[in-house]
Amino acid sequence: MDVEILAFECETATDVVCTPPFVNELFETPDVFLGINRAMLLMFLAAFIVIALLYFALRKRPVVPTKFGAAVEGLVTLVKDEIATGIIGPQGAKYAPYLISIFLFILVGNLFEITPLINFPITSRMALPAFLALLTWVIFVFAGFREQGFGYLGHIVWPKDVPIALRWLVGIIEFVSIFLVRPFSLAVRLFANLVAGHVMLTLLLVTGYVYIVGFSNATFNGVFGVLWWVLALAIFLFEVVVSILQAYIFTLLSAVYIQTSVHPEH
Amino acid sequence: MTEIEITKGAIALIGYGLAAIGPGVGIGILAGNAVQAMARQPEAAGMVRTTMFLGIAFTEALALIGFVLFFLA
Repeated sequence: MDVEILAFECETATDVVCTPPFVNELFETPDVFLGINRAMLLMFLAAFIVIALLYFALRKRPVVPTKFGAAVEGLVTLVKDEIATGIIGPQGAKYAPYLISIFLFILVGNLFEITPLINFPITSRMALPAFLALLTWVIFVFAGFREQGFGYLGHIVWPKDVPIALRWLVGIIEFVSIFLVRPFSLAVRLFANLVAGHVMLTLLLVTGYVYIVGFSNATFNGVFGVLWWVLALAIFLFEVVVSILQAYIFTLLSAVYIQTSVHPEH
Repeated sequence: MTEIEITKGAIALIGYGLAAIGPGVGIGILAGNAVQAMARQPEAAGMVRTTMFLGIAFTEALALIGFVLFFLA
């Protein structure tokens, strides 16, 4: 990366005020080769990491598990017991493989944000969260129709426990919130959190770099650059928490949505 | 950037700020009450924590929609 690219409308000699490149440049992923870009490669890498992690940790299970095996088993048990059966109930065991897969995939994809030399969360491209949310949507709608038949749709658009004058209104609100807002907010939550973190880290690191390399001829600017990097380091630690929490929340909400389809009365 | 674009960006920024007020207050109340619940009944901490994350996730959605609209504007 050159300073000329990062701040190409800067007058470094006379003025410190720059016109930074537009934020959309962060969203452009040039092809590596033949229409395959970095996000796609990283998606395959994330899937490969998840498969390898599960395979090597749980391939053979000795009586006294290794530390690595115990750690992966802890993650899997967390999702299986706390989220799948804990929220959905006894039927939750059926959905546990799906929940474990998306949890680990999103977790690895989020942690790419703070992995050195990658620094790019694949979940900050709308396509991936949108597809995962669509998958959850398909699963909870099918679960609803399978558990309750067409009464599933009937309960939503014509709720029996609401006064009859208000039923159509509540029905419309419920329909929109369940079938449109749920997948949208599920996808946007993951996407926006990761984009915010990515943009924040990029801004802090690039600002520090520009201060140190670009303007270091002026007094004290190098010191300011180091201070930006210290702030960026703090944000790195914060992003670890955000990555884990967002993967957890996506899985948790998927489980809650499936649960509302399986048990209508709650 | 033309003047209209700059004005649009500034208005979008104000809009994002407004969108963040409600969820900020909401998450504050939610987390505060969750802490209180955990302090009163430490044995229910796990359940309270899960419910708290759920509530935060639902509340946060409004702020995030504002954040996305800021980029779209």
